[in-house]
Amino acid sequence: MNCGEGIETRLVEEMFINLDPIQAGGRLPVDAMKAVIAYGDGYSVCDNCEKPFRLDCIKKPPLAKFHDDLAVFLNMDVARLVPGARRGFQAVADTIVSKGDPVLLTAYSHYTEFLSVEQSGGEPFEIPANEKQIITADAVAAKIEEVTRATGKKPSLIFVEEVDYQYGNLHPVKKIASVAHQYDIPILCNGAYTVGVMPVQGKKLGVDFLVGSGHKSMAAPAPSGVLATTAEYADTLFRTTRIKGDLTGRTFGVKEVEMMGCTLMGVTSMGMMASFPHVQKRVLEYETHVARCNKIVDALCSINGTKVMSEYPRRHPLTRMNTSDSFDLVAKKHKKRGFFLHSALRERGITGIIAGSTKVWKFNPYGLTESQASYVAEMFVEIAEKEGI
Amino acid sequence: MSKKAVEAVFEGLFILSDIRGILRETAPHHQFSPEEKILTAKNLEKLEKQVSILREELLA
Repeated sequence: MNCGEGIETRLVEEMFINLDPIQAGGRLPVDAMKAVIAYGDGYSVCDNCEKPFRLDCIKKPPLAKFHDDLAVFLNMDVARLVPGARRGFQAVADTIVSKGDPVLLTAYSHYTEFLSVEQSGGEPFEIPANEKQIITADAVAAKIEEVTRATGKKPSLIFVEEVDYQYGNLHPVKKIASVAHQYDIPILCNGAYTVGVMPVQGKKLGVDFLVGSGHKSMAAPAPSGVLATTAEYADTLFRTTRIKGDLTGRTFGVKEVEMMGCTLMGVTSMGMMASFPHVQKRVLEYETHVARCNKIVDALCSINGTKVMSEYPRRHPLTRMNTSDSFDLVAKKHKKRGFFLHSALRERGITGIIAGSTKVWKFNPYGLTESQASYVAEMFVEIAEKEGI
Repeated sequence: MSKKAVEAVFEGLFILSDIRGILRETAPHHQFSPEEKILTAKNLEKLEKQVSILREELLA
């Protein structure tokens, strides 16, 4: 069945339980699907755009209110919609980092955090994780000292992930922010895996910038995200244009330079806004989702030779497993080789594990119902038993 | 201009989205609980009503 010429209709979420590590938090609830139907046209939110002609000022549909609500939800002062978390990193780095500035990232920073530093001309320095794959406040302090000694400059910005993409571990952002501020260095919290999935309060964490991903964790279409900041940085980060055309003398009102004017002018902002009530509710049910993840991890760890590489018990559903001494031993002898696990799961209506992976792999069961989580747990064990492990 | 027909199209699509939501929650086997069956029956009834409106508005 096609949904356009040569475009196969995507049925993954309807036909399978999807454990893909990056897709779980971005699945649309029904209200967002309806918004996608109604607002799929290009500039669909602009029907009633009035002065000052900016996305965050549109009253119908209620985008202005949505921006205000997002800031409250994140416990920050000002929020803007951005086309993905990466554009949030980019805006902050472009505002704060000058050419040659040292910038601290972590051993688990996303590549787009690095690219934002590269684009602004900064020099990246990575904070190492400890033996438990956690970025500690002590490690941050040590790195600040080390970098300052080596470069003669204090870092101009620190990036830290609340939950990292490699292990799904929860890092002590509040303690790290406290250290950053002791050195008077602004800190950006990358909440791509947390904002919209679990309660996140920027001011409680003590961060200056908080970035979330709409399509990763706020049940929204891609590319979407949120960038929030405090009153201290709002005017700088969201500074308005001052440029003037030399020939025409044109000026550009209150367009924000880092936002390149308006950001999400159609289906992305509407999908995100339609999902928002659902997102507000689901963050309060976070522990239930973590418990379901732990049920699956426990089932996996009951399989001889299987280890969880992420912190355990899980505090976030994104989880890294090591099945080198279980499923990979089967793969060595199986006629489908490393593809047997993916294939066995697909036969049981489960997908999202990278095809061919039987050593180290990640999954994310966020959003599954209780019965779906139980089913996944049972199926991993069933596959293991069938293969004699 | 048939506002009634346009609204029926969207209502129909929205009802189908509700059914799609249930399909997602019950994947992969789609074994509906008694409550889900009642809800789906109601949705189908509402959908048929929208189809009737479309027939009346656009084809009569």
